Amino acid sequence: MKKVIIIKYGELSTKSDNINFFLKTLKNNIDKKLSNIEHEIKYDYGRMLIYTDDFENSVDKIKEVFGIHEIVIGYLFKEKDIDFINEKALELAKEKDFSTFKVETKRSDKKYPIKSPEVSRIVGAYILKNLNGKKVDVHNPELIINVEIRLGEVLVYFNDGEKGLGGYPTSSMGKGLLMLSGGIDSPVAGYLAIKRGVKIEAIYFDSPPHTSQMALKKVKDLAKILTKYNGEIRLHVINFTKIQEEIIKNIPNYYLITIMRRMMYQISALVASNVNAHVIINGESIGQVASQTLKSMQVINEAIRMPVIRPVCTYDKLEIIDLAKKIGTYETSIEPYEDCCTIFVPDHPVIYPDLNLVYEYEKLVDFKTLMFEAIKSHQVILINENDDEKKYEDLL
Amino acid sequence: MIYLDYSATTPVSLEVLDVMNKTTKDFIGNANSLNALGLKSKDLMNSATKQIANLFSVLESELTYTSSSTESNNLALIGYALANYKKGKHLIVSKLEHPSIYAICDYLVTLGFEISYVNNDSDGLIDFEHLKKLMREDTILVSVCAVNSEVGVRQPLKMIRQIIKKINSNTVLHSDMTQAIGKTSISLHDVDMASISSHKIFGPKGIALFYKNSQITVKPLIYGSGKSNELKPGTPPLPLIVGFSKALRLATDDLEKKEKYIGLLNDRLCKKFATMDGILINKTKYSIPHILNISLMNVKPETFIRALDNDAVYISTNTACSSGELSSSVMAIYNDLKRATHTIRISLASITTSEEITKFIEIFEKNYHMLNTLLAKEEK
Repeated sequence: MKKVIIIKYGELSTKSDNINFFLKTLKNNIDKKLSNIEHEIKYDYGRMLIYTDDFENSVDKIKEVFGIHEIVIGYLFKEKDIDFINEKALELAKEKDFSTFKVETKRSDKKYPIKSPEVSRIVGAYILKNLNGKKVDVHNPELIINVEIRLGEVLVYFNDGEKGLGGYPTSSMGKGLLMLSGGIDSPVAGYLAIKRGVKIEAIYFDSPPHTSQMALKKVKDLAKILTKYNGEIRLHVINFTKIQEEIIKNIPNYYLITIMRRMMYQISALVASNVNAHVIINGESIGQVASQTLKSMQVINEAIRMPVIRPVCTYDKLEIIDLAKKIGTYETSIEPYEDCCTIFVPDHPVIYPDLNLVYEYEKLVDFKTLMFEAIKSHQVILINENDDEKKYEDLL
Repeated sequence: MIYLDYSATTPVSLEVLDVMNKTTKDFIGNANSLNALGLKSKDLMNSATKQIANLFSVLESELTYTSSSTESNNLALIGYALANYKKGKHLIVSKLEHPSIYAICDYLVTLGFEISYVNNDSDGLIDFEHLKKLMREDTILVSVCAVNSEVGVRQPLKMIRQIIKKINSNTVLHSDMTQAIGKTSISLHDVDMASISSHKIFGPKGIALFYKNSQITVKPLIYGSGKSNELKPGTPPLPLIVGFSKALRLATDDLEKKEKYIGLLNDRLCKKFATMDGILINKTKYSIPHILNISLMNVKPETFIRALDNDAVYISTNTACSSGELSSSVMAIYNDLKRATHTIRISLASITTSEEITKFIEIFEKNYHMLNTLLAKEEK
C-alpha cells in the first residue's frame, strides 16, 4: 500500500471558464515547491494527486502553497479484489478514532463489476462486523471512509485532512510591487496579497549611511521568508539618501513625511510599470501613524495613478502581529535596525496635509531629476527560497 | 589513560576549542550592542543558532541558550508551571529522570504543585497504562527523559506524547534529551519542550539549550535586559554558543554509523561481563549502546572505582550527579536494592578505540579479581 497526497481546491473550483489556467498555475507552484523532492502530480477538476516517496517533507512544503483548501492523505493499492479492499479499509480504519462512520465509493473504472453503492455496503458491513462499538451514520458520520476504484488502482482516504492555506495559486492574478520596509506590517501585507494570487516583487528604500547594512539585511531576510509563499522574489533596492537629504534640507519639518512618502510612491509606480506590475501593495493601516490618516493617505496617494492595495489597512495592530507571528516574519521585523521611514521623524508631522501646500513645497527641490537618478542606479537582488547564505563556514 | 565516563562529560574536541578561541579573539563586541562590532557578533550568533535550528528543523526563536541542562530543566518545569498554573497544578514525571528533575519537583511541591511519578515496565519503558491512569484534567506537564542517564533506556517520546494529548490536549511533554542528543537520532517535534546539553557531545561546559515549541508560554526565571531572548537575558556567551553549535553539527554527522560502532564495543564488554561471577548487566532491549550499567554484587562500587583510578581508568558509579547514592533507575527497573546500590556505569563514545576496550577489560579483570580475593579473605 502506498501513501499519496490528495489536494482539494477551495475557491478555485468556483471558476468555470478558466479553471484550467488556475489548476495549471497551482500545479506549477507545487512543482516548484517540491523541486528538491522527486514527485509526480496528476490532477482533474476535482482534486490533485501527488505521488512521492518523501511523504512528510512534501506535506510540510505543500502547506505553504496557496490555492489549497485541504490536504488529505490517501492510500493506494493495486489489488482490486473486494476482499482485499475490505481488509485494507479495516486496517486503516482501526487507526482512527471514531464512533460513527459511513463508506462512500466512487468508481471511475466503470468496468469494475460491483457498483459503487454495493461496494460501500460491503466495506461498511465488513468494518461493522470487525470493529467493536462502531455505528453507521449516513447523515452525520464522524468518519467518512472514501473508496475510489480507479483504473489500475484503488484509493482509500478519510475526512481527516489538514487545512491548506486557502487563497488563489500565487501569480494566477498577475504581479504587484510590495513596498517592503523592515517593519511588521509590510511583510504581512505582502503575504495577504500573495494569498489572493498576486505574484510580488518588492521595493526597499535604502538610505546609507543613515540606515545600516543590517537594515537592508533585515529586509532581505523578510523577503526570504515571503519566498516560502511567493517563490523567488526580486527585491528592488532604491538609494534614497540624496532625496531624503534634500527633503530634510528644504521642506518644512512637519511635511517631511508627507513629501517623502509621495516620492516613494512615485518611484514605486515607475518601477512597478517597468516590471509589469499592475498594483502597488503596502502595509499602511488606517490611523497607525501620521502618514496613515485618511487625509494623509489621500494626499500621498494623489502623487500616482496606479492603484495601491493596502491589505492590512483595516487590521488592528495586534491582529497584524498575530499574523506576522503565524507567517514567521515577526521575529525578524522586531530587530532594532531603523529604516529610512523611521530615521529623521519630526516630532509633530502633519496629519491633515494640505495638497496645495504640498505642491508648493515640492517646487523647492528638483525631485524629478533626483527620482530618475535614483531609479537609474537602482539595484535588483534576486532572493530565492532555497539558497541559504552559507556564512562563517570556517567557524561553524 | 582510559576515559570511559563520556556520559558524565566529554573533553572538548580540538576543532571546537579552536573556533571558540577564534571567536573569543575576533568577535569582541557584545551581541546586544548596536555598533558594528556588536552587529558582527550578533550576526555570527544568529548563524550559529540558525545552524542548530536547521539541524533540528525548528525555529530559531524556539531555542534559548542556558548555562546547563539543569537550568533548562528548571525553565521547562518551573517556568511552565508558573506560567500555566491556572490550567492546573498537576505534573507527572517518570522514575528514570536525572536527579535535577526530582529536585525541581520537590521545589514545585513547596509552591503548591502536585507531582505524580509514573511507573515503568521491566524493560524500563514508561508504563502507558499507568500514565493514562495518572493523567488528569489539571495535568499541565509530563516530563520524561529521552534517554535515561544510568541505564540508557530510550523512551518512545512520540507515542508518549500521543497518549498524553489524546487524554488532555492541554498537557505538554518535556523531555530531558541530554543523554540522547548526538548519540541517537531524535526529533524535537516529538515533544513540546526539551533540554539539550553541550558538554556531553564534545562541546564546552557552561552552555546548553532549552527548546520550547512556539505555541507554549514559559515564565522566565531570571530577569534583566538584553533583547536577544526574554527567557535568558544578559550578554550571550558567543564563544560558547559558537562552540556548541559546531559540536552539535559534528555530533550529528554520521550518527548511525557511530551508533553502530559503539554497539560493537558494547557487545564486546557485555560478552565479557556475562562470563564473570557476581556481575549483573543492567541493560534492556531499549538501552542505547553508549551507556553500559552493571552491578558488582560482591564489590562496593566506590572501592572499585578507586582501584581503577589507580590504573588511570575512569568510569562512574551511577551518574555524576548522584554519586554515592543508590541508582534510582536500576531500582525502578529491577526493584532489587542490592543490585541498585552496587552499580557502576561505563560510558562509551565514538572516539573510544578497540584497543582501549581490550586494555580496559584487562585492567577491569585484574582489579575485580584482586578485590574479590581480598573480600573473600576478609570474610574468613
